[in-house]
Amino acid sequence: MTRPVYLGASGLVCARGASPTAVAAALAAGESGSDWRQHGNRRFPWFALPLAEQDWLTRAEKAICLVAESLGPLPPTTPLFVASSSFQIGLCETRPPPYELPIANASFSRQLASWMQLDGPRYSFSNACISGFSAIDAARSLIAAGQIDGAVVLGCELANASTLAGFAALELLSPTACRPFDRDREGLVLGEAVAAIHLTAKSTPWRLAALRTGIDAWSITGPDPEGGPIAELLGECLQEAGLAADDIDLVKLQAAGSPGTDLAEANALRQVFATSPPPLLSFKSAFGHTLGASGVAELTALLACLDSNCIPATAGFATADPQLGLQPTTRNSSQPVRHALLNLIGFGGGLASMIVTRER
Amino acid sequence: MIYLDAIVSQQFAPADLPAAIRAALGKPLRRAPVLAQLAVLGALACLPAERRSRPTALLWQSTSGPRLETLELLDEVCQGSGEPMPFTFLATVPASAAVQLRPFVPGLRSASTLPLDTEQEANWRLLLTIAANWLAEGRYEQVLCAHLDHWADCLSGHWLALSASPSASTLATLRTSAGAPVTQATDTPDFPVALGRWLSAPAGPSLQLHSPAAPGLTVEFART
Repeated sequence: MTRPVYLGASGLVCARGASPTAVAAALAAGESGSDWRQHGNRRFPWFALPLAEQDWLTRAEKAICLVAESLGPLPPTTPLFVASSSFQIGLCETRPPPYELPIANASFSRQLASWMQLDGPRYSFSNACISGFSAIDAARSLIAAGQIDGAVVLGCELANASTLAGFAALELLSPTACRPFDRDREGLVLGEAVAAIHLTAKSTPWRLAALRTGIDAWSITGPDPEGGPIAELLGECLQEAGLAADDIDLVKLQAAGSPGTDLAEANALRQVFATSPPPLLSFKSAFGHTLGASGVAELTALLACLDSNCIPATAGFATADPQLGLQPTTRNSSQPVRHALLNLIGFGGGLASMIVTRER
Repeated sequence: MIYLDAIVSQQFAPADLPAAIRAALGKPLRRAPVLAQLAVLGALACLPAERRSRPTALLWQSTSGPRLETLELLDEVCQGSGEPMPFTFLATVPASAAVQLRPFVPGLRSASTLPLDTEQEANWRLLLTIAANWLAEGRYEQVLCAHLDHWADCLSGHWLALSASPSASTLATLRTSAGAPVTQATDTPDFPVALGRWLSAPAGPSLQLHSPAAPGLTVEFART
């Protein structure tokens, strides 16, 4: 059996709001403010969840409950696919040493399921920045084959010092701001997000038309600057969807403001779209790079924007980079979108591309 | 029909891993985290040289994950200077194993890491079902499914290699629906050991992995 898989209800809590519609409205309004997070004697911009709770666990529960509320009622046995790169490490940091980690490294997924009031099967994915699309890929494979009828895919990335310190040690963070595809881009800005989407065999306005994951083995910390592996994966994704490059109406970029990765992505896009790319959009300057949650968070944000008939401007972009030869959206647009392509380039060599198609 | 081509179970004392790597590669695997080294050892044991360039996916689960590496990172970040050594952080990113493996398995096209949330339990059902789906749709020619653990006193890797077409090395067939009669297996990290025992036993009923909580993810092995 092979059947289409659709994207249903969603939930999203990120720096721009506590629901998909609130986030879409904030993006349309051009909101992109961030906080700061101190790390040793350095400080970095940081996109925090808009929650008043201070305690790590209480805050996590609040975010999950907000997302569950947006999703609406679901059968409690609905399979849950969790995507995260940090799980409960932020909680461990709040406790005194010696540090204790659970024996099973994704045991936090049991807590997440409990907060979501789901007691069906749980599966966890930790593929760095492409975790969310890896989880969606697995869920849609089972739905398409008739092995399950629906699933919730949850992306969860919450505040912790370890990830920030790791990226800081690798000198991958911007000290000022996220500037996607900008000549003066300096690096990533990290953020928190919790997002979920319901995948279902039942028809909805958005169909998951294609999803492919890949590997760029150039380096653990960055892709081949020529963009070859990324372009190859985008081509495979188009092929699976049965679409040509000029059928794509919008690309949601990875574009985190990283000097090398933005260049690789731009080179790949020029190989795929030649001289006439569709509008290019990045969310990372509006709510940060949310790592393991970014796939689900950016998908839910994109669908909310498109459902509100607004392709937002990409915050943080000011000056085109002639080396890239491409630039993201600079003003809001209501251009109709039937097919949107979403691209992820992961820390650790993972690649993922998805195409969503508006059915009605 | 999906075909089981290899069952591999490996265990090492931590001190023996460098020698095992040198025996397999003829050189050390510098800067590679332990889980990545286990991935390389297991994948090479599963795939003969002539199959390493075929389109391949890797699905690997882990109970421990990079637990020891994460504890080291926490010590460096929260008790040390606050600035970890870059390789301490990189060792906590399990997905990076694919980059370490790719030079030895050039056909590796995709890799997914599935951390487990409960001790003594595994998700072989999920890995094998997804692998079977991907092979049936022609997305890859072969899929490696694995369970890798890095504990303080023991390193382990359990592997199953599946392919879309039969070969001289085919051990069993796999399907993603239930038949009868069957022998039930338990979905634990070392399921490949049980599968190997079942294969070496005299002919009998098929072997099934099944969970009442996820009835759609039933997988069943039959002897060839």
